[in-house]
Amino acid sequence: MLAYIIQRVFQSIVVLLLVGLVAFSMFRFVGDPIDNMLGQERTGADIARLRTQLGLDQPFPVQYYKFLSNAVQGNFGVSYRQGRPVSQIIAERAPATLELAAVSAVLAISFGVVLGVFTAIRRNGVAANLIMSASLIGVSLPTFLIGILLIYLFAVELGWLPSFGRGDVVDLGWWSTGFLTASGLKALILPAITLALFQMTLIMRLVRSEMLEVLRQDYIRFARARGLRDRSIYFRHALKNTMVPVITVVGLQLGAIIAFAIITETVFQWPGVGLLFINAIQFVDIPVMAAYLMLISVMFVGINLLVDILYYFIDPRLRVDRTAAAK
Amino acid sequence: MRTPILAATALTLIATMAPAETFRWAGTTDPQTMDPHAVNSAPVLGFLNNVYEGLVRRGKDMAIEPALAESWEALGDTGWRFNLRQGVTFHDGSTFDAEDVMFSYQRASSEAADTASWFAPVSEVKIVDAHTIDFLTTAPNPIFPDSIANFMIMDKGWAEANGAELPAKDAENHATLNANGTAAFQLAERQPGLKTVLTPFDGWWGEVEHNVTSAEFTPIQNPATAVAALLSGDVDFINPVPIQDAARLEQIPGVDVIQGIEARVIMLGMPHQAETLKYGDTGEANPFLDVRVRQAVGHAVNVDAILQTIMRGSAEPASQLVSPAMRGYSPDLAARPDFNVDTAKALLTDAGYPDGFSFGLKCPNDRYLNDEAVCQAVVSMLAQVGLTAELDAMPVQNYWPELREDNFDMYLLGWSPGTFDAEHPIRFLAHTPVDNLGTWNFGDYSNARIDELLPMIQSELDEAKRQAMLDEATGILQQEAAYVPMYVQPLVWGVRNNVELTQRPDNFFILRWVTIN
Repeated sequence: MLAYIIQRVFQSIVVLLLVGLVAFSMFRFVGDPIDNMLGQERTGADIARLRTQLGLDQPFPVQYYKFLSNAVQGNFGVSYRQGRPVSQIIAERAPATLELAAVSAVLAISFGVVLGVFTAIRRNGVAANLIMSASLIGVSLPTFLIGILLIYLFAVELGWLPSFGRGDVVDLGWWSTGFLTASGLKALILPAITLALFQMTLIMRLVRSEMLEVLRQDYIRFARARGLRDRSIYFRHALKNTMVPVITVVGLQLGAIIAFAIITETVFQWPGVGLLFINAIQFVDIPVMAAYLMLISVMFVGINLLVDILYYFIDPRLRVDRTAAAK
Repeated sequence: MRTPILAATALTLIATMAPAETFRWAGTTDPQTMDPHAVNSAPVLGFLNNVYEGLVRRGKDMAIEPALAESWEALGDTGWRFNLRQGVTFHDGSTFDAEDVMFSYQRASSEAADTASWFAPVSEVKIVDAHTIDFLTTAPNPIFPDSIANFMIMDKGWAEANGAELPAKDAENHATLNANGTAAFQLAERQPGLKTVLTPFDGWWGEVEHNVTSAEFTPIQNPATAVAALLSGDVDFINPVPIQDAARLEQIPGVDVIQGIEARVIMLGMPHQAETLKYGDTGEANPFLDVRVRQAVGHAVNVDAILQTIMRGSAEPASQLVSPAMRGYSPDLAARPDFNVDTAKALLTDAGYPDGFSFGLKCPNDRYLNDEAVCQAVVSMLAQVGLTAELDAMPVQNYWPELREDNFDMYLLGWSPGTFDAEHPIRFLAHTPVDNLGTWNFGDYSNARIDELLPMIQSELDEAKRQAMLDEATGILQQEAAYVPMYVQPLVWGVRNNVELTQRPDNFFILRWVTIN
């Protein structure tokens, strides 16, 4: 087990280095930050001076090496746009994204699993068919459109919920939370639904098809023949066996929720890291872009690792195989 | 009888209670810093005009009026004397005097400051006494007071106590997140990218016109979200309103649309030195060297149609590099080349291009209002006279490097003169590119007479003589079709209809002119 984890961690580091290399080589196509940083009345000399000062005149490998050696020490540099340390800016923005992602994930998983099981059991029911058709909307409408529609319905027409932002937040020193105020909770509803909708339909459809597959298997028939109650069959025997592929997908989707939050955050002006990243692209704020991409890849790699480890606990067959092989 | 009296007192109570007017507004970009000398950009300077003040300021009509200087006079040919206002205090209570002006001058003209170019003509600054200060210039400079309207005064003691003696570009200092000015509002809370809260400053020297008790700015990037926020009443004011939404918003009760024109002139630029075309008929001789070809472009572009369809009638045609609202505009030269396909074709035939030619048009797609759509319209209009333009539109951060590399046969440019004076575009767009002159003259336009006129315009104190020289320069630029000015960009703001405010052509939002009913 330990050797396995060490091996995976090593692989992860290689992946991270590659991501950094690709990201860094792409920054040159994003544009030139100099014009954004200097005003209208800049001269050619100003441009050259700032370019040297930022190290942008150096060859790409040198820039990448500098970034890596600083990043290893936890120093991601200073934002071109805000003139403040990137690590500090990201730390300020991360709680907003993580809270939004957590609520969305809970929504997506709970509704997704429940609706998936329901539509599998009542395969031919009217309600199940309605849910299946409605779920098509969730997969086919783009996120920003759903967001705008929700804003117009609930903020402009009905006036129940705020149209943008995070509401009032409580500062806990190292974390700012919107969970503790009424306006913070209200502000969370629309973005969380927007972000969760796609994942929810995905999970629901996955659970449904896996469940249908499992319900066809012999052991379910035998369980029925034994006279077990439906509930026990569905939730104890069938659902458990559908969960392995579901967990893989949910794990990866959790990363996607955080990464896709960019669009939702832009539509709702949600002050998280996704919005920060969009701002950074527009301004060619290279330190912020680099730090964000590295963090996202660290997160994806970490989630993958976690999912792999989770397999051991959920599926006993994997454990047996490994120990057998070790002998 | 008791009840009516009670009711009456309750009513008066309500009437006399100053309503707590929290004003919320949203713009597309967050001011990136609170330091008035670190960045020379409209979002920063516009916002900080509410917190810091300069020696002079601009009024509702853009005219210069006294602020921290009560009056100023030219010291013959050698510079300007500013008589400072007495009894002014900074937000932290310290008093304002000439030392603060001196300190701010040194700070704002240091190499680390983006605002240093404002002080290029200054040779020396001398404190005469605690409330008098002289700015000496290398040559007579009639528009110097105009050019420092955004030069904001910072408290020397505060900056030194907090280690913010110099503006920081690639590091953070105290003045990045905090402010200590003299203006009508003080910075109460600053969360970059999230919200910035201003509260009225009780010790302000001026007469209070507003009734705002607290003002909160939030950046909202997505235009649809900003419109929704205005409609739902979550914000009281948004800038800008997307042009395509302006007509719809006007129909909605509770919301007003305020339209005006900005100082920014949108124009087409062409290469004046390149020997060959870079795109289209690549390698062919550059046709734009011929003045008749450039004039033909002016006649071929139907500006009225662009304004009607793309700008929905909210912009105005432009004939010069500045709009009519600017100082030094030439009223006698207000006519654009008339839109006439035949004239354009005749000019092209004269120049030896009866069948036209093809070339590349570069255009930004996120810099000016509907910039890419305007370029597409220009492409189809030029096609009618036989000119085939290959449009290449790109984000602005890729656009400027392309222009600097001379990778264009024609390009779109918007210019807003920072000094609100016609001299400004001559300095940056028309003068031959040398040192710090002609820095935005991507087409390398060069005319000996223009180069000769610029320093004379800059140092002429006599208003009439100066205007005559500006008229001459404008005339030359028009005859030579150095640029093809098209229109003045519109300003479209959206407000809740219980709010009264003033729209200024520099697109600065001045909070002290806001009243909430």
